[in-house]
Amino acid sequence: MFKDLDPILHSQLRLAVMSLLISVKQAEFIFIKEKTNSTAGNLSVQVQKLKEAGYIDVIKEFKDNYPNTTCKITKYGIKAFEEYVKALQQYLDIKK
Amino acid sequence: MTEENNLSEAQSLALITQMINKAKCDYEETGFGAILWGSLVAFCSLITFGNFYWKITAFYYIWFLTLFALIPQIIISVRSAKRKKYKTYGDEAMAAIWISFGVALFLVSVYSSKFELPNAALFMIMYGIPTFATGYINHFKPMIIGGIVFWLFAVICFYVSFPYIMLYTAAAAIIAWFVPGLILRKRYKKAMQRNV
Repeated sequence: MFKDLDPILHSQLRLAVMSLLISVKQAEFIFIKEKTNSTAGNLSVQVQKLKEAGYIDVIKEFKDNYPNTTCKITKYGIKAFEEYVKALQQYLDIKK
Repeated sequence: MTEENNLSEAQSLALITQMINKAKCDYEETGFGAILWGSLVAFCSLITFGNFYWKITAFYYIWFLTLFALIPQIIISVRSAKRKKYKTYGDEAMAAIWISFGVALFLVSVYSSKFELPNAALFMIMYGIPTFATGYINHFKPMIIGGIVFWLFAVICFYVSFPYIMLYTAAAAIIAWFVPGLILRKRYKKAMQRNV
């Protein structure tokens, strides 16, 4: 039985953000923006969606007197990501 | 990158791999710490060896230089941590290893000087621990070899007397720290040129 791919993760930018965050403990917004080649506006919207889904935590603080946003994947986000990858592998295995 | 839901399964998997690799390739170690400590420990060891014959009073305190070297090391580490836009689980493990090594080394120095114990081999055993662990965590072979070299030289030093033991310490510091530091520095400069 195939699982449906998680619609929150099955989107290019959100998946890119989650893939970055799965490989680091936490990352600044600017780092994610550079690595995903996205615009700040679009990234903000997608980060918010991931936050609302409980997949990431967003920490807003000041660094050298400037506002700084840091994103961190949650345990729930890690589980969702792992399930998404498992589901992907299932799809790819059947296509072989 | 835009928000599109029409990714194929293969594209999704490729994207995941690509982003994980991007995170991996972003940060390059400057090699500053390894060069600093490799050259300093080698220098102090060679001076200690020479001073066995020279008997210059000031040189008996040469190892105090390591305390002064802590200042640039701390400044560089704090700056580097601030500059870095992300933190990995590996970073935390590395910090824990080197802080515990620093504390243990200080306590061993105090202990061995209080009871006048020979400490060169003991220090090399200790130097090997964070060196090997750093190489192992970062998949950096020169430091894995460096850690093993420290331990091998420590065993040799069980059978070597002072001041020749200092020559082994100097050689181990160069092999385990200075040379890997130069390799890291070269990589770092290359990475900087790529990013310009």
